[in-house]
Amino acid sequence: MSQNYFNTLSLREQLAELKKCRFMHMSEFSDGVAALKGKKMVVIGCGAQGLNQGLNLRDSGLDVSYTLRAAAIEEKRQSWKNATENGFTVGTYEELIPTADVVLNLTPDKQHTHVVNTVMPLMKQGACLSYSHGFNIVEEGMQVRDDLTVIMVAPKCPGSEVRAEYVRGFGVPTLIAVHEDNDPKGEGLALAKAYAVGTGGHKAGVLMSSFIAEVKSDLMGEQTILCGMLQTGSLLCFDKMIAEGVDAGYASKLIQYGWETVTEALKYGGVTNMMDRLSNPAKIRAFDLAEEMKAIMRPLYHKHQDDIMTGHFSKTMMADWANDDKNLLGWRADTAETAFEKTPAGDMEISEQEYFDNGILMVAMVKAGVELAFETMTDAGIIADSAYYESLHETPLIANTIARKKLYEMNATISDTAEYGCYLYNHACVPLLGDFMTGIKSDVIGRGLDVEDMGVDNSRLIEVNAAIRSHPVEAIGAELRGYMSDMKKIV
Amino acid sequence: MPTSLQNLTVNFDERFDLKNIDWRLESGQHWLISGPNGAGKSALAAVLTGAGKVASGEISGLPQHVGWVSFEAQAELIAAELKKDDADIMDVISEGTPVREILAQESRDLVLIDELVAKFELGYLLDRAFRKLSTGETRKVMLIRALSNQPDLLVLDEPFEGLDVKTHAMLHDYLSALSPNVQIVMVLNRLDECPDFVTDVAYVEQGKLLHQVKRTDQAALAELHQLLHLKTTDLEIPPTDPTAENKLPPLDPAQPLVRLTGAAIKYDDTVIFEGLDWTIEPGEHWQLSGPNGSGKTGLLSLITGDHPQCYVNDIFVFGFQRGSGESIWQIKQYIGYVSTALQWEHRVSVSVRNVIISGFYDSIGLYHKPSETEKAIAVQWLDLLGMTARADEPFNKLSYGDQRLLLIARAMVKHPPLLILDEPCLGLDEMNRQLVLALIEKICASSGTAVLYVNHHPHDHIKGIEHFLSL
Ligand SMILES: NC(=O)c1ccc[n+]([C@@H]2O[C@H](COP(=O)([O-])OP(=O)(O)OC[C@H]3O[C@@H](n4cnc5c(N)ncnc54)[C@H](OP(=O)(O)O)[C@@H]3O)[C@@H](O)[C@H]2O)c1
Repeated sequence: MSQNYFNTLSLREQLAELKKCRFMHMSEFSDGVAALKGKKMVVIGCGAQGLNQGLNLRDSGLDVSYTLRAAAIEEKRQSWKNATENGFTVGTYEELIPTADVVLNLTPDKQHTHVVNTVMPLMKQGACLSYSHGFNIVEEGMQVRDDLTVIMVAPKCPGSEVRAEYVRGFGVPTLIAVHEDNDPKGEGLALAKAYAVGTGGHKAGVLMSSFIAEVKSDLMGEQTILCGMLQTGSLLCFDKMIAEGVDAGYASKLIQYGWETVTEALKYGGVTNMMDRLSNPAKIRAFDLAEEMKAIMRPLYHKHQDDIMTGHFSKTMMADWANDDKNLLGWRADTAETAFEKTPAGDMEISEQEYFDNGILMVAMVKAGVELAFETMTDAGIIADSAYYESLHETPLIANTIARKKLYEMNATISDTAEYGCYLYNHACVPLLGDFMTGIKSDVIGRGLDVEDMGVDNSRLIEVNAAIRSHPVEAIGAELRGYMSDMKKIV
Repeated sequence: MPTSLQNLTVNFDERFDLKNIDWRLESGQHWLISGPNGAGKSALAAVLTGAGKVASGEISGLPQHVGWVSFEAQAELIAAELKKDDADIMDVISEGTPVREILAQESRDLVLIDELVAKFELGYLLDRAFRKLSTGETRKVMLIRALSNQPDLLVLDEPFEGLDVKTHAMLHDYLSALSPNVQIVMVLNRLDECPDFVTDVAYVEQGKLLHQVKRTDQAALAELHQLLHLKTTDLEIPPTDPTAENKLPPLDPAQPLVRLTGAAIKYDDTVIFEGLDWTIEPGEHWQLSGPNGSGKTGLLSLITGDHPQCYVNDIFVFGFQRGSGESIWQIKQYIGYVSTALQWEHRVSVSVRNVIISGFYDSIGLYHKPSETEKAIAVQWLDLLGMTARADEPFNKLSYGDQRLLLIARAMVKHPPLLILDEPCLGLDEMNRQLVLALIEKICASSGTAVLYVNHHPHDHIKGIEHFLSL
């Protein structure tokens, strides 16, 4: 059984790795793709990330081909079609891996150990192995041949976005890292930077981080605020509205599209802007509800972060992998059976503002989740920049998937790892919020506040506004969004 | 009874025809006729006074008394006066007909003449010879003549031309007061001088009545305004940014812009096309046509690098053999591109100005801080399009047609060696179609850019295109 890499490090080394995170300046990418020019890049797997990263890299003038497992080629599976229809060369491991200067491992995380062990003996001396997520290295302690360079280039977006933004002439925020145990020639950083340029990531902002910081923050974000909170919130809010006699079609629609609408406000101006979209009395209610939920959920966020740090989470999940995903598949089926999932959205019009006015509790849940996840990550030693990307920044992207096809779509788009963590969170959080939810009425979810109670106490409002604005996620958010909009001056 | 022109074709000496005019002037309507210079505005107005030779079609319901003021009518009268001089030359030296007499010739109400003379403050020249008046004075006399005739229909061709500000205002008020009782048709070069009583606007071009717009239809009126602007403006296609940053690396003029050899697009089991050879030389204008599904857009995207199969074809573009390590941005910098799909992809929130500037970067949305030169060029384009005031509006709030115009400006802003227009008029109404074509013709005429125009009607020509490829 493999050894968790993080756990082999001393506390001092662990903290140093977690702290590694620096927003890179545009000028650091002035060499463009030169470091990869003329090198042979072979991608393993042609799924969401594999196909789209490959298309971008090729369009940036790099030499890209695909290798798939033999069965996928023989059966002409979707991944084979993806690669061939797009005019890429496809070959078996034996045909292509030995020719590769860089091998891009873009298979699902749970296959990594198997895949890497299979291809490693075929790899050229001194070649480079790259990942888009560090799970295999950090949690499974994959030992890579000493002569190989190991890097990570992780776009902080689903694969479809990676391509769509590139085609527009932009990119998606990207995290890069070099596995220091595997940087024999000291060229890891140059390769990772060139790779980020090839996918267009440098235009949207690149964080120079470590495998460990990426994994520990990525897991935390996806389990809690990004997927877990949205799933729990969807189920609780829907059931509450039904109990309160709100029309089922309306309730379904308010939630399905509500997450996307309220979190869109995050993109522009963080939690502050999202809260500012509410009327003053609604804002104070949302603030109070969020404070209450933060107090209740804080231990759960701590538990998730602790389990991620100790490796308990990955151990449990890997046990399920070994058990043919019994838990994962069972939980996936349960989700499909929930009332929210099974009730189609009504065809009534809901205006953009109405999603805020009638979704006060949803706004409160987003605020509580973002802040708790951010606080917990930074408390654990993760740098604010990274904590910001893994919490607030990605929330609207995940919310978009719910708008497309509810929780089914969200869980289909995110990785199995995220999905597994999401269910764990949901199972703990639904009962945890049980008492809190008994006190909730349709004024904060489904119908909106009565117009009569529009008055607010000035000093209370000032206090609430100050509290919202002074949360540390707002400061780093404003700074990083500032970099983004310097580059993305599109207003 | 309404005046009605049905499929009317009228010849005016060899110079000019009005073709197939269908027009109805209901009572209570007041019309303004607009159009570019030489379009036939004055001719159409003159038809209402019985001018021209009807070649075919019908005109009915013309009232008995039609008052007409125009430079032509004015010139005719002066010519007649001069002829009289010639005729009289043997006898005594003629002083010419005095204004008083000229005014009385057509009048049905002499009291009204006095009233109008007072209004126009022309009392001082009643006894002078008509032919000795200044142009402005002559104009006023013509107006009084027409007005005092108590016409049922008043046809005024540029009535405000040559009038001082005060007289202009006076005449404007006078016509407004008259309008409940007399139908007025006027030709005006400038739509923004259109008096409030006008209810309908006609647009004439190349002897055809192309558009009839209700005054209340603000949107259509704005488009008409813009069309007129594009057709009449002296502005040229703005220059490109001369600064190094936006300078395109020069191409070898001896090499073609594009050379496809045995090009094909194939999916699974379908062949869209194959074995296609095509070369586009610098400066050559091409039209590509073919039915839906024949692969026009696919073929273009092989050139632009948007089709993944460009890597499995033999394609030479802008000095690069595709698949030899070039990036698509090195290709795209030489291409301006407009299509409906591109318009759909512009869902990002971006201002009108920045859409134009984004053309320098081949991006959808702008991700660079624009330079002062770039901003200035964008303003020049907006001036040309007649959209100066809208620079800061969000692109997606514009009408569909305006968006298309902007995308053409975006594509041209860097003066690319190749401009690809993929069905640029698709989804546009007639007015916007003409707007777009007006802009394209301006581009074809005044730049070194090779235009590749794609359309599924092979007969839908653009002036200046001499090479054709059919799929
Ligand atoms: N999804 C995201 O939002 C996201 C974002 C950032 C990073 N990442 C990371 O990107 C990597 C790829 O994720 P993804 O979402 O792109 O995965 P995906 O869409 O599920 O694609 C996986 C690909 O790997 C192939 N594959 C599956 N099992 C395999 C095996 N045993 N051996 C060889 N090939 C196998 C699949 O093809 P066949 O089954 O046909 O062989 C498929 O083409 C992961 O490390 C993930 O954490 C994902």
